[in-house]
Amino acid sequence: MNIQNTAPETAHDELHAEIADRFDTTAMATETTLLNPRFYTTDFDELDRIDVSSVREDWDDLLAQMRSDPNKGHFKKTEEWDNIDWDGMEPKLKAELIDFLVSSCTAEFSGCVLYKEMKRRGKNPDICELFSYMSRDEARHAGFINDALREAGVAVNLGFLTKSKKYTYFRPKFIYYATYLSEKIGYARYITIYRHLEANPDKRFHPIFKWFREWCNDEFSHGEAFALLMRTDPKLTQSFVNKLWIRFFLTAVYSTMYVRDHARPAFHEAMGVDIDWYDQEVFRKTSEIARQVFPVELDIDHPRWMPNLKRMERAFRKMEAAEKQTGLARMLGKLTSGAQAGWAFVSLYTIPVKKNTPPESVRLEPAY
Amino acid sequence: MPLFARKTETVPCTVEVSHRFEALHAHVRFNDGSVIHPGDEVLVQGPPVMAAWGEVISEDRVATITRATALERLWTRLTGDFEFIELCEFSFSEDLALEQEKAA
Repeated sequence: MNIQNTAPETAHDELHAEIADRFDTTAMATETTLLNPRFYTTDFDELDRIDVSSVREDWDDLLAQMRSDPNKGHFKKTEEWDNIDWDGMEPKLKAELIDFLVSSCTAEFSGCVLYKEMKRRGKNPDICELFSYMSRDEARHAGFINDALREAGVAVNLGFLTKSKKYTYFRPKFIYYATYLSEKIGYARYITIYRHLEANPDKRFHPIFKWFREWCNDEFSHGEAFALLMRTDPKLTQSFVNKLWIRFFLTAVYSTMYVRDHARPAFHEAMGVDIDWYDQEVFRKTSEIARQVFPVELDIDHPRWMPNLKRMERAFRKMEAAEKQTGLARMLGKLTSGAQAGWAFVSLYTIPVKKNTPPESVRLEPAY
Repeated sequence: MPLFARKTETVPCTVEVSHRFEALHAHVRFNDGSVIHPGDEVLVQGPPVMAAWGEVISEDRVATITRATALERLWTRLTGDFEFIELCEFSFSEDLALEQEKAA
């Protein structure tokens, strides 16, 4: 794939340009992966106006827990950290595992930058304290993954700071919906993998999965914080328009996850995981948790659900194939696959949702 | 705020990069309290800040802020939201054809 010939459009393109380069050499010489997080800004005045007094008791409990830093000692390599034979690893699995590590590291790193920025720009002490703990956790996770990458001969390059960075913008409510879902999905993904490998230890092809149980508790409590934030303003989850947004976010995030997981068959096969089963399991857990705050839930057992996810995945594959063509074939390919993906999305979005009345008390503990 | 012409500002900043096992992070702080708005671009001057493994580097640098025009700012505010999928963690990159890339 000649990804180096095209101008990188996203952080991941750039990362993969570096990685693709790395695999061109048969020797496992250390190469660098340019970490290239995105930079965001938001309406900081609106964040400052958040008043957590309506959820004060739950808020203080959660913040006390985060302050006590229960995972402080967890992210250390112990004798549990087995040696990995990177050279003997099947190349396809190796490529997918490294993509997993780099993408996860970038996500943690971007989270760290975003949360730190929110902490620094904010004036509301409750909010600033929350974001300082979240940024601490993300930097710690990123450091842990980075070490696993070093073992694989991939060095992370932080030189992005001296490259020009454009700041994009998210409304605070979009940050709540997206990061809430992201943290809870992260929890559901990690705990599902952890439990599966606990039952099938022979399928654990990298030691990092052993750390997932405590790790995902960080994701869980970050999600709790966003759930509380959303509870401070009932409009965020109760107004007609915002319910449509929540439905949109759920559909977009679930279907994106489905498409991306299906593009990593070797990774899931090595774990002995059927991707359809795994994704449905993650959706089920996430939906169950999200009842704490979202008034609607996607019906993932609806007869239109799976067929349209599959349709969406096929459309994205076609789109990627069209990107590699030129001229009219490229244009037509992109147009038809785009229309197919759009239609699949509409079909998913219009599946009737399950209504739900979030409970009086929002707080949950990780239970899977 | 100009409607069409971009303005640039040069401001002092502190760059902190941690490349340790305990924490991997990198932050830029504007020492004069400058604030970034949607669509602005920031460039830290000088050679790349390279922290070796195990190092934390804190350096005073100069940053160039290219201010977005009023139109660009409005555009970023209106369209930025649609990139929200970037905020989500999916474990994998959006590149679907990883295996072909590797086999090349």
